[in-house]
Amino acid sequence: MGAAPAARDVTSYGMGLAAPLALFFLVFFVAPLLQLFWLSLHNDTAGLHWGLGQYLHFLTDPFSLGVLGSTLLLGAEVTAVCLVLGFPIAWLYQRVGPKLQTVIILIVLLPLLTSVVVRTFAWIVILGRQGIINATLQSLGLIDTPLKLLYTQFGVVIALAQVQMPLMTLPLITALGRIDPNLDDASCSLGAGSWRTFFRILLPLSLPGIIAGCTLTYAAAITAFITQSLIGGGQMLFMPMYLYQQASTLQNWPFAAAISIIFLLAVLAVVSVFTTLGRMSRGYGGA
Amino acid sequence: MIMNRRSLLTTALTLGAMKAFPGLSYAQARPLVFATFTGSWEEAHKAVLVPAFRKANADAAMVLDPMLSVDQIAKVNAAKANPPIDVMLHDPGPALVAVGQDLVEPYPVEKSAYYKDLIAEAQEPMGPAPFFQVVGLTYNPEAVKTPPTSWADLWKPEFKGRVGITNLNSTLGTGWLVEIAKMRGGSEANVDPGFKALEELKPNLAAVAANPGALATLFQQGQIDISPGNFNAIQILKARGVPVEFVAPKEGAIAFKTTIHIVKNSPNRELAFKLIEAALTPEVQTTLMNPPYLIVPTNSKVMMGGEIARVLAKDTAELKKKFVFQDWKKINEQRSAWIERFNREIKI
Repeated sequence: MGAAPAARDVTSYGMGLAAPLALFFLVFFVAPLLQLFWLSLHNDTAGLHWGLGQYLHFLTDPFSLGVLGSTLLLGAEVTAVCLVLGFPIAWLYQRVGPKLQTVIILIVLLPLLTSVVVRTFAWIVILGRQGIINATLQSLGLIDTPLKLLYTQFGVVIALAQVQMPLMTLPLITALGRIDPNLDDASCSLGAGSWRTFFRILLPLSLPGIIAGCTLTYAAAITAFITQSLIGGGQMLFMPMYLYQQASTLQNWPFAAAISIIFLLAVLAVVSVFTTLGRMSRGYGGA
Repeated sequence: MIMNRRSLLTTALTLGAMKAFPGLSYAQARPLVFATFTGSWEEAHKAVLVPAFRKANADAAMVLDPMLSVDQIAKVNAAKANPPIDVMLHDPGPALVAVGQDLVEPYPVEKSAYYKDLIAEAQEPMGPAPFFQVVGLTYNPEAVKTPPTSWADLWKPEFKGRVGITNLNSTLGTGWLVEIAKMRGGSEANVDPGFKALEELKPNLAAVAANPGALATLFQQGQIDISPGNFNAIQILKARGVPVEFVAPKEGAIAFKTTIHIVKNSPNRELAFKLIEAALTPEVQTTLMNPPYLIVPTNSKVMMGGEIARVLAKDTAELKKKFVFQDWKKINEQRSAWIERFNREIKI
């Protein structure tokens, strides 16, 4: 926030224009959130006795903490896969002609144009016992009995990575597009190899895009109730399903509210790590 | 849109008046709202129940607003004095919750022309059961050559890695666990034997689905060959050409009452009663029993026919013999503890 005085001048225009949206958020987001928090501070399902019992229950229960941990880990795995697979696509986009660019952007956007449910069902068909992967491996004689891919952590990570990929690729394309291509040539002419150029020039300069992509992918992956439950099944418990169980099946709203608040704080913590990294990278990129 | 002080004031006054006198807004004027379930239930009710009701009641206006039981309860709870729903439909667990939270009215039994014709299990004074859901064994006849006959068949070594079940979020999953417990000497109050049996089932388990609907997908994908399953869901799959068959196990098929209730403080109480009456008539229940709906009737005057007579029961007497009803009041008392235990213990 070193540039505060300058930024203030710019934002002072926007405040009035942002008021309707701010009001909307206040009424439909902040108010329900406060209500949720209020509900979580009750020890009984009827919401009559105040107390921190729900939080104590969650935070002292190894099982619940395990669910939280595995959810956060799932997000990290999906984000890593998206980054590794998404970066080359974004890089390629900046280096091909306009026609191919249209094709790439279409391929990247295509998943966003179909519903998550449809995309997830496609993955059931791909990962199933008689699915595309197992059928191919079997016909090649590489395996005798079908591999178990559906209802495994691996399956969930792969499916989520595909489903959330656009959220990683689009910010990366924007970030890479802002980098002056001459820097590449300059680095090469000064004697740096391609890998050195990548790690010293391209990667640091694209950090804002990486951070934005990671934040979006991470948040979307850990909250993806549909994909998690359809590909992961009923015995792999992640936070959204845990929440649903408590709120919907058991009608234990105070505990469900406490789970939501804890989940929210955990996600905010992870996102703030990303943003801190982002702030640092801005300094790095400018230097 | 231009907003001046006057129009703002009018709006504020109107809103304030509506808040102060809620009757002003839409009591009486609103059409009858029936919250049915989504999917095949909605289709069946739209095609059969709604026309029958409107024919009997001078084309009275009504709308279907399909949603899950829990959503129905939440919506009515949020506006108890002026509920947005007049008639609710519930599985046994949520029905007890709705009654327990004082959201439904007793059914005017003495006024009803059909209540006394319902088989005894369907006569619920807080809301009768117009339909049964039946859970038995589902299997893929292409992979399973000798049809299973008992819940115990799921433990056979030949089904290693081929069995699917659902977790306890659903009525089906919970009801099935209770039945397994009963088979091994337990009861609604003691499902320990059921959990022990689940432990022994693990080598056979191919999948624990998040909901009964997901089981259907698993059959389609050849992921599982045998599972506990809902009779109606199987008929839908069968009609789409998926190789699945349903059998009632010799221990008895689990029957869930789907009950229908008049919401407390409903502005359309009389029409709500009429709609429920229509759902109880032998005519509506007979139509719903025939293809493509195949919904199990509860009115003893309905003559069983077709697929239901073939796989479930030929008449009410046989139905009573072959169906097992469970004590959901007891089940609800401990269900949350079971779900927690299932979460912890069942990892495959």
